[in-house]
Amino acid sequence: MTPIIETQSLVKVYRADGVETPALRGVDLAVAPGEFVSIMGPSGCGKSTLLYLLGLLATPTEGTVRIDGQDAGTLGDGGRTRLRRRHIGYVFQRFNLLPTLSAEENVGLPMRLRGERPGSAPREMLRAVGLEEKRRRRPNQLSVGEQQRVAIARALATRPTVLLADEPTGNLDSEASDRVMDLVGRLHRGTGQAIVLITHNRQVADRADRLIRMHDGRLVDA
Amino acid sequence: MLPLANILARPLRTAVSVLAVGVGVALFLVLVGLTGMLDEIARRTTQVEAHLMVWPASDQVVVSGGLPAEKVEKDLEGVAGVEHAIPVLRWPFKMAGRVQNVYGIRPEDWRYFASEDQILEGRALADGPEMVIDARLAAAGGYRVGQTVERWGHAFRIVGIAKEGVAGRVFMPIDTVGEALQQTSRRASFFYVRVVDPSHVAAVREAIRERGLNVFTLEEFYDVLASSFIDMDLVIGSVVFVAGFVCFLVILLTVYTMVIERTHEIGILKGIGASRAQVFGLVLSEAGLIAGAGIVTGFLLTWGGRALILHLQPLWTVEIPPLRYLLAALLAAGGTLLGAAQPAARAARQDPVESLRYE
Repeated sequence: MTPIIETQSLVKVYRADGVETPALRGVDLAVAPGEFVSIMGPSGCGKSTLLYLLGLLATPTEGTVRIDGQDAGTLGDGGRTRLRRRHIGYVFQRFNLLPTLSAEENVGLPMRLRGERPGSAPREMLRAVGLEEKRRRRPNQLSVGEQQRVAIARALATRPTVLLADEPTGNLDSEASDRVMDLVGRLHRGTGQAIVLITHNRQVADRADRLIRMHDGRLVDA
Repeated sequence: MLPLANILARPLRTAVSVLAVGVGVALFLVLVGLTGMLDEIARRTTQVEAHLMVWPASDQVVVSGGLPAEKVEKDLEGVAGVEHAIPVLRWPFKMAGRVQNVYGIRPEDWRYFASEDQILEGRALADGPEMVIDARLAAAGGYRVGQTVERWGHAFRIVGIAKEGVAGRVFMPIDTVGEALQQTSRRASFFYVRVVDPSHVAAVREAIRERGLNVFTLEEFYDVLASSFIDMDLVIGSVVFVAGFVCFLVILLTVYTMVIERTHEIGILKGIGASRAQVFGLVLSEAGLIAGAGIVTGFLLTWGGRALILHLQPLWTVEIPPLRYLLAALLAAGGTLLGAAQPAARAARQDPVESLRYE
C-alpha cells in the first residue's frame, strides 16, 4: 500500500547567527493510510520539527517529504499550501484557536480558506466533539479541554487524510486528556484518517497502532 | 468575518485609525471646498450681460480714486463696435459683519446685472439713498426690504432682494455712492462694455487698448482673478498634502502594529491552510474596512464642518461637487491600501513555524 505520508533521509538544520543546529539527522518514516502512529521522545529531540516538515509548514534542509505520493519538494509555496489544505489537519499543543472568532467560526475557517462555504459542517463537527451548545463561545469562554476539542474539530473539519497532532494533551489535566484521546480514537475509527501524534505521555502514546521513539534527531525505535 | 472580528477586537485603535482617515477626508473636502469661495467671487464678477471690462491703470486708482466716468464713457462709446459702457463705482461697505463691495451703478443699467425675475422681493434699483442686496446677504444679516442701514452718517433703505449670483452682493445708485464718498465729479472704478457684435470682441478690445486703457474680455478677467488666488490654492494644497501624509503614516503604523501583534495568529492561519495571498488579502481587507469606515466618517465630518463654517461665516462658500466626494474616497482608499501594503506583504512572507513560536 502506498504510504499516505513518507519521508526519506530527512535532515533539518536551523541556522542562526552563523551557528548551525541540527534538528533532524536523517529521518525515514512511512505512515499508511488510516494508521495511527505516535512519536515519543525527550524535549529537543526534533519531534515538533518533524511534524512541521510533515505538515509542510517548513522545508527540509535535505531529504524528501511525500504526501499521497506527491513530492512536496518539487512544489512552490502555493503548491505546498494546496497540498496541505487537501491532506493535512493540524492540532497544536496550545490549541491555537483564533481569539476573535467563536468556536463555530474557528471550526469553519479551514473550509473558508479552501474557498468552501462551511454551511452546517462546523456545527456538526462541534456536535461530534460534544460542544454544539457552546458553538458561539469564544476561546476565552471555554475551558482548556474544550478549546482542544474545538481545535480537533477544526483540524478534522475539512476531512483531511492525515491528522498531525503536536502534544494535543500537553496542556490538559488527566481527565481532560482522557476525554480528548477518547475523542481522537473515536474519530479515527469513524473516519479512517491517518494520525501522527507527538506526546510525552506513555498512556497517550499507547493508544496508537504504532509507537516510534525519537532521540537526537533520529528515529531510534520504529 | 475574520477581518471584521479582528478590527473590532481593538476598538480604540480602530477608532483612532478610522478618525485619522476621516479627518484626512474632511480636511481635503472642506479646504478644497473653500477654494470654491474664490471661484464664486470670480464667477459672480463676470456674471454680467457684457463682453469686456475696462480698468484704470493702477496709478490712476491711487492718484484719483478711479476713472473719470463721463470722459471714459464718452471715449468708450466712441469706439467703433461699442454698444454701451456701464460704469461701476465700488465702495467697501460693512454689512452682516463683513466688508462687502458695493456696486455703484446707474439704475438704468440694472438690467445688465439682473433680469426682472431675479428680483425675489421688492423692486430694482432707482435713484436716491437706497440699495438692492442679494438673498444670501439678506439671509446672513437678517435684512428685509424696507429696512434702513446706516453707515458713516448716511441712511440707505433696502428696496429689493435679488437672487444670489448677480455680480455684487450690494448695489446702490452710482450717484449715491459718489456722494457718500464726497466725490466732486463722477468717477468709476471700472467699466463693463457691451459690444454690438460679439464676434468682433477682439477687434473692439484692441481699439480700446489703443486708447491706453486696461481691457479684458470677461473670460480673461475670470482667469486673471482665478489665477490671483493661486497662492491660496498652494497653501490649501500643502495643508491637504500634509494631512494626507499624516493619515498615510497613521495607517501604516496601525497596520504594521496589527501585523506584529498578530504574528502568532498569522502562523495559525498558515498552519490551517492559508496561502500567502490569503494572508495578504486578510490584512488588506482589514485596512479596507478601516478605510471604508474612515471615508464615511470623513463625509460626516465634512457635512458637520461645512454646516459649522456656514453657521459661523454665512457668506463663505464651501463648494463640494459630488465628483470631489468620489475623488476623496478614492484617495483615502488608495492611501490606506498603500499604507497597508508593506505590512501586509510582510505578514504574507512570515515563516509559519517562526510565527507559531512567536509569543
